[in-house]
Amino acid sequence: MTRLLVWLRQFGIYRGAVDLYARSGLFRGLVIAFIPVAWILVLTIAPYAQMVLISFYERYPLPPDQTVEFTFRHYGSFAERPLYLTAFIRSFVFASLMTALTLIVVFPVAYFISKVAPRGQRTRLLLLVIAPFWISEVIRSFAWMIMLSNSGAVNSLIAWLGLSAEPFEMLYTNLSLSIGVLYLTSLYMLLPVYSALEKIDSQLLDAAANLGAPAWKRFTRIILPLARDGIVSGCTLVFLLVIGLYAMPQLLGGPGTTLFAATIGQIFSKAGDSWPQGSAFSLILIGAALGYVGLFTVLFQSRRRRRAS
Amino acid sequence: MMRLRHFALPAIFWLFVAYLFIPIIVMAAMGFRDSNFVAFPIQNWTTRWYQSVLFDKDIAQSLWLSLKVAVVSTLIALAVGLPSAFLVARTTGIIRAALVAIIVLPAFLPVIVSAIALRMFIGQLGLETGPTAIAIGHAASTIPFVVLMVLTRLNAMNPNIADAARNLGADDVIIFTRIILPYLAPALFGAVMFAMLLSFEDFVRSFFLGGFEQTFPVLLFSKLRFGLDPGLAAISTLVLLISTAIGLYADHFLRRRRMKNGIMS
Repeated sequence: MTRLLVWLRQFGIYRGAVDLYARSGLFRGLVIAFIPVAWILVLTIAPYAQMVLISFYERYPLPPDQTVEFTFRHYGSFAERPLYLTAFIRSFVFASLMTALTLIVVFPVAYFISKVAPRGQRTRLLLLVIAPFWISEVIRSFAWMIMLSNSGAVNSLIAWLGLSAEPFEMLYTNLSLSIGVLYLTSLYMLLPVYSALEKIDSQLLDAAANLGAPAWKRFTRIILPLARDGIVSGCTLVFLLVIGLYAMPQLLGGPGTTLFAATIGQIFSKAGDSWPQGSAFSLILIGAALGYVGLFTVLFQSRRRRRAS
Repeated sequence: MMRLRHFALPAIFWLFVAYLFIPIIVMAAMGFRDSNFVAFPIQNWTTRWYQSVLFDKDIAQSLWLSLKVAVVSTLIALAVGLPSAFLVARTTGIIRAALVAIIVLPAFLPVIVSAIALRMFIGQLGLETGPTAIAIGHAASTIPFVVLMVLTRLNAMNPNIADAARNLGADDVIIFTRIILPYLAPALFGAVMFAMLLSFEDFVRSFFLGGFEQTFPVLLFSKLRFGLDPGLAAISTLVLLISTAIGLYADHFLRRRRMKNGIMS
């Protein structure tokens, strides 16, 4: 390899390019920055810019020989039908509740792995709970469909135990959706919370205990404040994940659990000039979600972190 | 307190593990059910689903498409992510913060919105919905992770090594190929695995950016809306075993490297 590169140096063009790269800061900057900047402009910024533009168009694609008309009516249409507003509010309530539920379920698990389990086993226990991380959202939904359907595992078990002859309607409800979503979100919460807890010096807790601090006080005065940034970033991740969920609510949810992401998806699966409305709704979702998460972060992130950033 | 520590917490942990694994085990078992329907108990067992499902034409095609998309999107993500990481490493202050923010932001926006924004934009690039569009969409979603993984490793690199090579007469190309790339190798390996798996399991982008051909998650999704059958359980089990094995191997690999480096430094 090195020999090839040295051999290449006998060619003037190659040598010139390499020397130019070594000498000219501008050329070096161009070589390094060209692809990233082009990608950011074309595939990160441009699609959203176009989305903003389309959301103000009267119709899209533009009919030929017609001037562009700008309108706010697609944003207005959001408030017109209660269907949209209901799905929107349901999305935010559901995502907030799921975030809280995920934290409640995952925190003791993360605490157990990072503080209670023997040191030598921690990696193994952590691997055990992050193993399902790599399974597709659709496959996870399928697994829970098998568990919760009327002829599924849970209902069969209930019938076999003789608890109830009638199957419980669990699939296509809020219950099945919550169980499935928790399956998806728990690992996004686990990793940040675990790494925050792992950093807490156990001697700090021992010292507090020796000085007579009861367990609940050690929890509220030491563990929670020190794990705060991990909890906040876990909650942010989970909330944004749930608000954008599309496949799982359609597989595990029912007509009564339509979320706003599905509303947007439906608008886009309609043919014709529904793009402006879909764009407006997408931007409403982004704006509201980022605003909500931003407020949450400002309220709960520790002052130390805020000052540092 | 002692009771909480030694009884409740382990109990919660193992309940959580059961919650994670029972559905997967049940699904794997369902793949052995000798019937066309999903139901319990499983009285007659068969391996025919596991044998036949790989030769199902639709499924084989969708898996092949998923694999192709995963490879192409990973190559794109590397081609963009690697120079992006170098660019970030060379900047400082507010420019660096802005650059990192714009590179990482796509990972935090709701997936459905980024898929739709790209779906509306690909026409401007002269693309139709289809495998190329999916690959670009997946690359857009994995680049943030590639950049962060490479950047972490790059920041830990000792700049004296490159300077020493330069003093010994190496030009920038030699330094890049013989020193920087080998140093980054573990991060690149991790990034490749991560990007491939994220692409392979993605549903939303493949759904909105895909054309007539369906990737595996999209095919499974449309089949599941018609009904469940043990054959789908069998193929899902096989796919999840393979992706979990690759994911765990990559994780283990990175962890081991990090530990070794921790001891060395």
